[in-house]
Order: sequence, then structure tokens, then C-alpha cells
Amino acid sequence: MKPCIGGMFATAFLLIGSIQALADTHPFTEKAFTVQAQPVKGTVVDTEGNPLVGVGVFVKGTANGTFTDMDGNFSIQASPGDILVFSSVGFEDLEIDAGSGVTRIVMQEDRELLDEVIVIGYGTTTRRSVTGSVEAVRGEMLENRPVANVTQALQGAAANVIVQRRSYNPNSENNNFNIRGISTITDNSPLFVIDGLVTEQSVLNNLNPNDIESVSVLKDAGTSAIYGSRSSNGVILITTKKGRKSEKTSIHLSTLAGFNVPQFLFHATEGYANATLTNLALTNSGNAPRFTPDQIRDLAAHRDEENWLYYQLYRPALQQDYNASITGGSEKSSFMISIGYHDQQSNYHSIPRFGAQRYNMRVNVSTSLGPLSLTGTMAYSRNNSLSSTGSSLEINASRIPSYYYYKFKTDDGRYLVNDVVNDFSSLGQLESGSFNKFRDNFLTTSVTGELKLFTGLKVRGIVGADIINHTRFTRNFPQQYWAGEDATEPRSVNEQAFYTSNWNDDRYRMNTQLLLDYDNSFGRHNVSGLLGVTNESYTYSSNEIAKAYVEHELGIATDKTKEAGNITGNTGQDTAYRTSITSVLGRLAYNYDQRYYGEFSFRYDGSSKFHKDYRWGFFPSISAGWRISSEPFMEWFKENAGDLKFRGSWGILGNQSVGNFDRFTRYGVDGTSYAFDNTLVTTASFSLGNDELTWEKTRTFNIGFDASLFRGTLDISMDFFHKHTWDILMGPQTPGVLGAGLPRVNYGAMDNKGWELTAKYNLKAGSTNHSFSFNLADSKNKLVSFPGHEEIVHGEELWVIRKEGVQWNAFYGYKMDGLFQSYEEIENSAIPAGLSVQPGDIKRKDINGDGEITEEDRVILGHAFPRYTFGFTYNFAWRGFDLSMLLQGVGKREQMIRGELVEPFHENYSYVIYKHQLDFWTPTHTDARYPRLSAQGSPSDVNNWSKDWGTDIFIFDMKYIRLKNIAVGYTLPSRISMKAGMQKCRLYLNAQDLFTLCPTSFVDPETTEMGSNMTEGSGNSARNYPNIRYFGLGLDITF
Amino acid sequence: MKSKIYISAIITASVLTVSGCNSLEQPPVNQYTDANYWNEERAEFMVNSAYAAMYNAGRMWDDVSMGDDVINGRSTNNPGRLIKTGQATASTSRFNGEWDSMYTGIKFCHLFLDNIANIDVKNPEKISRLTAEARFVRAYLFFRLATLYGDVPFFTHDILSSEARTIGKTSKEEIIGFVRDELEDIIQVLPKRDDLTKEESGRITKGAAVMLLARTWLYENNWAEVERLTGFLIDRQDEYGSYSLFPSYRGLFEEENEYNSEVILDRAFVPNFITWSDIQDMIPLSRDGRVSDRVPVQALVDCYLTTGGYAIDEEGTDYDPGHPYDNRDPRMTATVIYDGYDWEANVNDWFPTKGNIEINPATSTTEDAYAGPNSNGSVTGYYLRKWYAPQSKGSASSGLNLIMMRYADVLLMYAEAALEQGRLDESIWNRTIRPIRQRAGFTADRALDFPSGKTKDELRKIVRNERRCELAIEGLRYFDIMRWDIGAEVFSGEVQGAYFTDHTGIFLKHIPERNYLWAIPQSEIDLNENLKPQNPGY
Repeated sequence: MKPCIGGMFATAFLLIGSIQALADTHPFTEKAFTVQAQPVKGTVVDTEGNPLVGVGVFVKGTANGTFTDMDGNFSIQASPGDILVFSSVGFEDLEIDAGSGVTRIVMQEDRELLDEVIVIGYGTTTRRSVTGSVEAVRGEMLENRPVANVTQALQGAAANVIVQRRSYNPNSENNNFNIRGISTITDNSPLFVIDGLVTEQSVLNNLNPNDIESVSVLKDAGTSAIYGSRSSNGVILITTKKGRKSEKTSIHLSTLAGFNVPQFLFHATEGYANATLTNLALTNSGNAPRFTPDQIRDLAAHRDEENWLYYQLYRPALQQDYNASITGGSEKSSFMISIGYHDQQSNYHSIPRFGAQRYNMRVNVSTSLGPLSLTGTMAYSRNNSLSSTGSSLEINASRIPSYYYYKFKTDDGRYLVNDVVNDFSSLGQLESGSFNKFRDNFLTTSVTGELKLFTGLKVRGIVGADIINHTRFTRNFPQQYWAGEDATEPRSVNEQAFYTSNWNDDRYRMNTQLLLDYDNSFGRHNVSGLLGVTNESYTYSSNEIAKAYVEHELGIATDKTKEAGNITGNTGQDTAYRTSITSVLGRLAYNYDQRYYGEFSFRYDGSSKFHKDYRWGFFPSISAGWRISSEPFMEWFKENAGDLKFRGSWGILGNQSVGNFDRFTRYGVDGTSYAFDNTLVTTASFSLGNDELTWEKTRTFNIGFDASLFRGTLDISMDFFHKHTWDILMGPQTPGVLGAGLPRVNYGAMDNKGWELTAKYNLKAGSTNHSFSFNLADSKNKLVSFPGHEEIVHGEELWVIRKEGVQWNAFYGYKMDGLFQSYEEIENSAIPAGLSVQPGDIKRKDINGDGEITEEDRVILGHAFPRYTFGFTYNFAWRGFDLSMLLQGVGKREQMIRGELVEPFHENYSYVIYKHQLDFWTPTHTDARYPRLSAQGSPSDVNNWSKDWGTDIFIFDMKYIRLKNIAVGYTLPSRISMKAGMQKCRLYLNAQDLFTLCPTSFVDPETTEMGSNMTEGSGNSARNYPNIRYFGLGLDITF
Repeated sequence: MKSKIYISAIITASVLTVSGCNSLEQPPVNQYTDANYWNEERAEFMVNSAYAAMYNAGRMWDDVSMGDDVINGRSTNNPGRLIKTGQATASTSRFNGEWDSMYTGIKFCHLFLDNIANIDVKNPEKISRLTAEARFVRAYLFFRLATLYGDVPFFTHDILSSEARTIGKTSKEEIIGFVRDELEDIIQVLPKRDDLTKEESGRITKGAAVMLLARTWLYENNWAEVERLTGFLIDRQDEYGSYSLFPSYRGLFEEENEYNSEVILDRAFVPNFITWSDIQDMIPLSRDGRVSDRVPVQALVDCYLTTGGYAIDEEGTDYDPGHPYDNRDPRMTATVIYDGYDWEANVNDWFPTKGNIEINPATSTTEDAYAGPNSNGSVTGYYLRKWYAPQSKGSASSGLNLIMMRYADVLLMYAEAALEQGRLDESIWNRTIRPIRQRAGFTADRALDFPSGKTKDELRKIVRNERRCELAIEGLRYFDIMRWDIGAEVFSGEVQGAYFTDHTGIFLKHIPERNYLWAIPQSEIDLNENLKPQNPGY
């Protein structure tokens, strides 16, 4: 641990200590002692009469408290009239008058899911009253996980919340986040809201997962229409932990430390085999072999010395998490203060050591002053990240064969290049000392004031700000490379590439809300309403300066730097923009006897992105629910099973994902595109705009039920949805003749249908507790209307098709019909015009049967968006032991894998055949997965691998199931922990990504190189950082 | 007390709700819009953009790859290689890329030409010159489009997207006719080279317009017009601008000699600011080459004469097959790097790696050694010299201008026109090919003197060979192959490398029915039915 981190923790403990001291001298405490206090004794038991250990017992409104012992007994000083509060995890809080004389306290298990408070847009509701589709993830699910951010932790946690990793590199941690699949082609990211304020994903990712009280996922129009124009992809509402009034001060410390171990999924063949097969590929195409028998014998003789360069880039790396928090409250005020530290080292073998660290601090306080209650939140997080300036590190190591004589370094420390990669080496780049140093600051703060006007009516004002500042400092050091161990001179170094640069950005988001909130009951009639106005303003600017030809050691300017063109950059003016959204919103909800529910909500949004004639959009929703189990005729069901409610919603949601200035035809000016007499002149650029741009709209229909069975032990929810999006903001394919890209237009429509199933089951048998939760979901989209009806876009090895009636961006290409087995078969088959093939080469299906292979024979080959996504959580507790595991996976997904991981000796770029590619055709191995080996550029090679003739040989089945997380813990018996003053002390082991089942072994099935819109044509090349497996040890203490 | 709380809470809330909001009207602050862009000064920026879009390094190197002087030995998907090995389809990337970038250039011209009419002009002379320049660029691009694709969409004003989706093709003849009319017209307006101030170096001149016009006729083998127009540049220099051969052939392609008297038009590059670096995949690996992709072939090397003036296969030649690179046309050394190449003498002496470039694997121990096809080294045993002008060590980026038109080409066109009209004699020879060979560094009489007693076919071989040697790697060869219709001859058989190399395994293939035309990009036809029919052979 770095000294500064130690210092931080020392400070934290001091801080907590002083708060504790403050709490101990709190006026209320003093008051408690001024009244005649006497010991109150009793025993706490559960409904079955078993004594409960470690139940917190305290006098309401004071810090005076204690815990029950092994036999459930307690003793506390209290005066008659004091209220004793009993609280324990898993049980409902209980309040008893200290003077009541009750000595046997029975606590009810807190199992009634229906009363769970659920956060919704601009308010809360209970599970019992929900009429839309909202799923709540409790904070415990996210705590104490070795994850870099909240997004990762949400993987598998809720149905149809689909998180796909982009990279395992802690320095480029990036995830796709989709709720209910793909409903539009422009932007499928949900809206992120933290404590009622709209924010962006980077803020969410820098939130401390341990600060989260709950996450609500709003999926349908009934719940999300109140977020209007940006809600069509669902809304993620994060609520952070707050203190509670009259709550005993408690301190929570947790730590988790472990190792990330890189997992290599593909492997080079041994050197002699690689050389032999190189020869085979060449001779198969009539070329001379590259390696002589002697050379191959030499490689075979030295096979024990081989250490493939790709493996040498990585090492196991430490990851540590520390969190401390303190919560409590007095009669009028409450607080939650937390700090956290997350440190994930990079697995790269670099100098200096790369990685990312996050520091979190949060203060949530609230107090009341007569009718006015005030809540303030302030969260600061700092992300320090140090990463490589090198690029293509993985591929530039993995395309070099494992021959023993390829080395990164000589014994005397010189870095070598070789005849495969001869301009630099990946390890040399990592160890050159060059780095990108990111320092990112996130400050989120808000003040909420709530004023009670009269019964049921409140007015609430919120001001919040997100202030984000990213900085990047880059230093590039020269690294010398030698062509071989015997080389007398290093390769010349490109001095220009050694530069120092500073980049900063400044983002400022201001949120203001004024809301009127009404909630009242009249007999069995329950009415609530909400009306408000809000504005969200965003301002961005960034600046950069870069100096080339800097002094090697110091990185400062030299004489050469001062020459024209060696200092570059831009100012804040070059990048500045501002946006604004002003809205009116409201909700009216009514229920009769919690049996019949009706709700209407709306939002009226105006956005600066649109011309004033098209600026405003109205987004309404209605929803209804019927608790059939409350009907007299269902009495038997209510008695014997539990609860059953049907619900449905309908509404229109929006999306405004266009460039900030897309409505304007714009002219840019640039000074580095042309020159006369070597003097630069100004040139112009041009982009077409569209004044008539307006909102994209999504009509969402949702129907579902919530059932509680077996006396509340099994809860099942199921939802079906249908989303129809129209006026999609798309950038149509442009005829080149136009000479400029077309601006986005509102055109096209897409349907997206799917369902979700979640089930929770609790089982208590003797002293064991089991809880199971399971979710399974699917979504499938279909383009309904598309300009020109069809687009076929080349992306890497295959095409993607955009066509009415089919899924967005389906992989498209030729269908393999096995491999040619004989010349006779070739004679009688269609082959692409101009190509010649041999037995062992790929045969394509002549789909239209015209005897030729032409572009008409291409078909849909699969789709990259995950379907049948599922998560399964199991928690088990027995006495002090606990076990929890999360299994997560995808039931159907196809992925194009591109390049060298499919094609041996890919495009003269890779010189490697990997072990998983050995199943290739030979005259004696005819039922192979891959075609025969052939030389690059040969007719067979063009037939088998050319991008112009891509087949489904590049398509791989990526369904998987993965043991995402498993934790085994032991909680010390309270009689022991309490001696040390601890309310709870738990020690646990945690492992992440321990086990995976997938039909495709050589790439990580969870990782995708496509964005959340599935628009990129790329597949998964495994040019990524390897995936990592985590093992760690954690400690969790509550005082 | 309570009312104070109410009042202050409401006031605070109201103030905060209203304050700090950005307005909903947010035009861009770092770009102009239609509302404020067009004035005289900024109209000129559009013409500068047209200059930048007219030609660039990618275009030149792609053109070089299409010819038979080089082969892309490594990138099997290089479009030039696909085209000349007969593997190109309508989806081949270059067909689409060139199409888009040429119409983008045309758009800059049209934006200027359409909008200039509505601008309050203070300096009409300047605007009329800019107008002529924009019309030149448009003519240049339409000529190139029609040459490569045949019939293409043609329009003389900025078009709307609806029009772009339905526009049909105009015949090549009509387009070329328009180009010629335009050029004839603007020749009158444009300045002579001699009238340019130093600061105006690189601007389009009368000479460039005459040369482009001559090219339009050259590509149709209209020898009378070629002779007439190139004659303007040779004999009427007071009227069309003075041009002469630059004394050093190697020096022509060096940065310090940019805008010299031989250059008629070039594409500007500026060190640090506007650079190209394609050459990093053509030069020896030991001299900062990255990989060897686009490398010269044996056929190019074979076309260089001996210093004695003999072709290597000519009767009585002094060519020594044992020392194939000795005593050859000095332009070979300025163009191709071969086994035993004296780098310090012929390139520069500051390079840290010393010694000759050793390529023959029998003797070389360096990374430049020939290692067969499917390796990082040169597939032919040759690397490229011409255009090598990096700004600094370890960097392939270059600020060297790329010459689009030069006076030697004028002389060669004139000689060829004379030849084809049966009038190439000693006098014309001495005004055209002799000075070119002298400048190249030939001294032997046999090389410099008019080869008398040759038949027209023999002379044609000499003139065409001279053109190939002089203008090698300048992107013109493909168009010569096209107009001479020698595709079947030069695009056949296996690409050959140096004597010590093995088979390249790359077979050239000419598809006659394609008639040298490119395919209309498949993606364009997908968007616009009216572009059918596709060109023959695709």
C-alpha cells in the first residue's frame, strides 16, 4: 500500500473516531442521563422462539445502545417513556415502550417483499403498488464484489439488464449497457440518474458500489415516461445510502484484496510445428518452403526454451478495495459519511506499473427545520489511471511465432525487433517508461429542500451539479530497438514521436427541479400526484497542448520543439458546446383499496438540439394494475398461496441522440490542410444539416404479473413488452455523388419484443437459510421501415445487413457448404467467378441455384446481440458460514471473429498458426473445421479467406454460462466479536470468473468489440487485453 | 419563524430553478453556419479545400500500384494488386473510395461556384482567378472520373441528396467535351507561371490548364492536339509560361527544390503540418522500413538502359548479367534500391545504420535480406528509392510535394505525338529526349543521339521505354498502359523479382472485357438504380 493511501486511511479512522466522540457527547445522550434511568432487561427471539444474537437495542433518539448476547438477552439503561428500538438484518425493526414491561420480544422476519420500498422517477412506491415494469437491485448485491465499477456489478443482477464487457484492461474499462435489447439504431444506452439527478455513465462508473442503497431499473413506459425524451432505453436510478433519524451510530469497515490472474485462451503452436505448417501452406500453393529441414530440427531441439512473447506481456496483478462508512442519526438529523479506495493494478509487464485507482468520499446529510427538511449530498471521486501509450500491444506480440530465437530483450537488456514486427516491440513499449497519466475528478453535489404546505402536499426544490474534469498527461520516452542480438547499431529513433502533452476537459452539468408532491388517502381511496419543472444544462470544453522533440529525460521543450509545427494543441473555444433541456413533468396515481390501480404520467421536453419549431415533445404514459388476490373470489388463493397482481402499461418515450448541432449546415475552418509555397492557408470543411430534426419516439406496451406463492417464500414476476420506435434519428447511407455525408433524418422504424422472468425463493430448513433468485430474459428486434429498404455494409471479414423485416445489423455473407473433397466435386459446383479452388478449400452454398456464386448468394449468418440472458444467484447461510454465488450467461449469441484468430498466417500479418486452428483439411483429415492451408495471396487463400468472399467460417457460437462470482464467508460469533467491540465481523474468500462453459474456447464469450448499438462492423478479434480471473480475501467489520 | 422559512425556501427555490440554465438556442461557437459563413474571404477557403481534394499521396500511390512498375507483395488485399491480378469486384474498396473522394472535391468547387454569385465582391480580379481555379479542379476531377469509370454522374452545380439518389450517368464523351471547353475557357483567365509571386507558388496556372487539356487528348491518342498543346508549352513560353528541365533528376524529388522550373503543378505538403508517410512500406527495413509492401519489380529494372545506351537485351549490349546493376541509367539508382545499393552515396549519409543495402540472401546478414514471399521483406528483392525524403530519422513522414505535372512529361508527349504522326526526327529528338537523357546523366553518344535507321515500331519502343523510365513511380503508368492498350502484354504471367529470388507466386491477369474501366462502386449502385448498367466485366 502506498504511503498516501495509508495516510488516507489514518485520516479516515481519525475522522470516524472524532464523529464517534461527537456522538458520545451528543446532547441527547446527556439528556438521557439526566432523567432517572434504570436497567431494562429482556430476551429477543424470532417467530419460532429461537433466541436472536447480536440484535441492536437502543433508546430512540439517543446513542445509547447495546446488543443481545448468545442467548438473545439484553440489558439497557432506559427511562419509562423512552422508546426501545430493536433492529437486526433480515428482521423488521421493532419499537417498544421501555416502560411496557415486555421482556420477551418477538421479531418478525423481514421477508415481505411487497412492502419493499422502490425508488421510481421523482419519488418512491412499494412493490405492492407498482403498475409498471421496475426491478430493484438491493445494494447488498453490489457490495464487496471485486468489480471496478457499478456497471460490472450489475451484470446478471436483473432481467434484461445486459452488460457486455469491452475490455478487461483496468485502464480502458468500458462496458456496453443495454436494457431490453436494441430498440433503435442510434443510441441504446439507458438514462442514468443518481439520487434524482440525471448524470452520465462515467459518473456512475466512478461511484463507490458500497455507497449504493438500491438500484432501480425502469424498463417500461409506465415507469420511465416521466423521464421523457431520453427514457426510451430505460432508466437506471441509483439511490445512495443515507443515515436514518434516531439511528444508532454505526461504523462499517470493509476490505478486499486479491489477485487478478491473466487467462490465456489461445496459444501458438510450438515452433517446429509452426515452421512445418508454414512450409505446408507455401508448398500447398506451389511456393518453395521457407524453412529447411535443418532449421525445423533446430526449432524442435530448442522447443523447451520457447516462451511465447504474448505470454511475457502479463503478470498477475494486485487488486485492493478498502471502504469505511459511518451512519447515524439524531431526532432531527441524519448522516452517512463514507470513504473508499479501489486500486486495480494492470496486468501489463510495464515500467512504471500501470493501473487505475479510485478514491471516493461521500457525505449525505439531512436535517429538518420545522416544516422544512433539507438534504445535502456531496460526493467526490478521483480516478487516477496510468496506462501505456503503446498501441496494438497484444496483436504485435501474438502474431510472432513462438520460435525460441524470438526474444523481447537480450540478456544485457537491449530490446529486440525481428522480421515479423521490426519497428518496435510490445514489451519495449511497455517498459520504455512512456505513459498516459489520467487524473479525473468527479464532484457531484446537490441540495434538496422539501417544504410541507398542508396535509399531503409538499413542495420540493433540488439543485444539483455534476462537475467533471478529466486530465491526461502524456510522456513519451525514446526506446531503442535492435534488429538482432548481433546488431551494432540500434534502429533509428523517431525523435518527433517523443512528446509531452497535456489534455484537460471541463464538464459542468447543472440540474434544477421544482416539484409539487401530493399524497393522501381518503378511506380506501389513495391518491398521489406530482407536478414539476426541471432544467438540465450542460457545458463542455477541453484544451490540449503537445510538444514534440522534447528533451528525452525531462520532457521539456528543446530548440527543435520551438520550430513551427512542433507545438500543437487547441483551446477551449475549439471544443466548446452547451446544451440544455427544459421540461414540465407530472404524475397522477390512484388506487382503490390497493386492489385497483391507475396511473398517468407525462413529460414535456424542450431540447436545444432541435430547431424551435420541432423542439418540444410530449411523452405520456398510462398504466393500470389489478390485485386479483384481493378479490373475494380469490380468498382461498390469498390464504393458501399469497399475492397475485396483473399490471399493464402503455406510453411513448423519446430519444434525442443526435449531435448537438446536427440541425445546422456547418462550415469548419482548418489551417493544416493545404499550403502555397509551404505556407499554410485556411481551408473549409462542410457538413450538411437538417433543420427538421425532431425527437425519436418509442411506443412501449408492457403487460405482466407479480405473484407471491407458498406464503411469500416464492416470488415470481413476468413481463412481456413490445416497443415500437419510429422517427429514428438515423444517418442514412450517402451516395458518394453527393460529396458530403448526409445529416441525420427522422426516418425508419424498429420493433423490439421480448419478455422477462424473475423468481426469488427463500428456503429455511433448520438452521440453514437458502435463497435463490433467478432471472431470464429475451429481446429481439426487427427493422420495420428503412430508407432504401436495404443496406449491406462491409465490416471486417463479413458484411452486416440492414433490411426491413430482419434484425438490425445481422451478420451477412456466404454460407459454407463444407469443404471441397475432390476435383470432381469442384467440377460440379459453383465457385466465385475468377477464382480457382482445390480440394480442401471452402465450398459456398449456391443459395439461388443459378450455378454461380455471386453477391446474390449471401445470407444472414447470425446476430451479435445476446439473447436468453440469465442470472442465477444462490445464497446460503448456516450458523456463521455463508456462501453466495452468481452464475450468469447468454443462451444465444453469434459473433464474427475476425482476422488472425480464425485464419492461420493471416494476411502476411500474423506468422502464427494457433493451436485451435490445427483442425484443418488434409487429404487424410477430410472432416476438418478449417480449409487446407494455403499461401497468402494464392487463389485458394482468396477463396477461403478474402474479405470479398466472407463466409460463416468467421461465425462462432458464443452462448455461455459463467460462474461470475463466488464468495464463502464466516462471521465470528458475536460473543467473540463483541468482546472486541464489534457488532459483526466477517471474513470471506471471493473469486471472480472462476469457471466458464462456452462452445468457443479461444475467445472470451463475454467480451465484444461492438458498441451497445451493434453498429460497428467489427467482431471480436481477441486483440484485447486477456481476460482475468480474480481470487481475493475480504474482511467486513461493523462497530 | 415558520413564514420566514416558507418565504425564504420559496424564493431560494425559484431563483435556483431559473438561474444557471443554458438557453435552448445554442448555435455552434466554433463552426460557421449557413447564416454567417459566406463572404469573400471565406469563399477562398473553399477553393483551398478544392486544391487539397484534387490530388493526394494516397491517390498517387494507389495509381502507382495499379501499374506494372511495382507489386504490393504483402498486402494481398491492396486494390491495385486486386485489379491487376483480375480479382477486383465491384465491391473492391478503391472503386468506392476514389469515387467518394472525387465527388467530395467536386462539391468544394460547386459550393464556391454556386455561392460566389451571391457574395458582395470587393476584389473581382481575385474572384475571377479563384473561379478559374475551382473550374480547373472540377475539370481535373471529372476528367479523372470519366477516365477511370467511363460514364458517370455529371453535373455543374451543387446537388441535393434527392438528386444524388436518382441521378443517371452522362457519357464519357460529353463529360470530356465539357472538360475541354472549360479548360479552353480558363486558360485565358489563369496567370502564367512567371506571373506568380513566390507566395503564390503552387497555384494553378495557364501551363497546368494547357497540360491537362493535352492529357485529355493524349488519353484518346489524338496526336495532332497533343502536339499542338504541348507545343504551346515548348515553343510559346512567353505566352503560356516558361518551363525547363531541372538540372538534377534526383533533385527533382527533394524538398529544397520544390516549385522549380520543371514543375507545372504539384500537390503541396509541408513538413510537420501536411505530410505523407506511405513510403515506410517500400524502403529497406534497415532504413526505417516498417514492412515491404509496394516494391519495384524486375520488369521496371529491366527497362533501364546501360550507361552505354543499350537496352539490356539489345544486340551488342554492354549489359553484364553478372553485375546487373552496374553501369545502368542513373535514373535506376534514383528510383530503385537493389542488392549492393550504396545508400550513403545515393540517399544520405546521416542515417545511423551504415553500409550498403544487402538483399541477396546468399551474402546478406541484414534484415533486408530476401526471405521469400509471405515475409516482411521485399518479395522482389528490390526496395524503392524515388520519393524517399523523410523529415527526420526514424520517421517516414515527409513534407515533399508530389508532382502532378512536369515539363519532362510535356517533352515526352511531344516526342510521342511526333512519332505517332511519323515525324520524329533528329531535330525533335534533340529538343525532347536528348535533353531528358542528358539531364538523367547519360554521356555516351549512343544514349544521347537520335537512333537513326529505326522503324516506327522500333522508335515507338524507345519512346515508350523512355517515358516509363523517366516517369516511373509517378502514378502515370497505368494511364499509359490503358491508352497503349498493352494490358494483355504487361499484366500477364508471374511477377518477377531479382535474379536471386524465388517465385513471387503473384500472377497478373488482364481482363480484356473490362476495357480498363473500373466498376461503378457496388455501394453506389445499391443506393441508386439509375447507375446501372454496371461496367462490363464486373
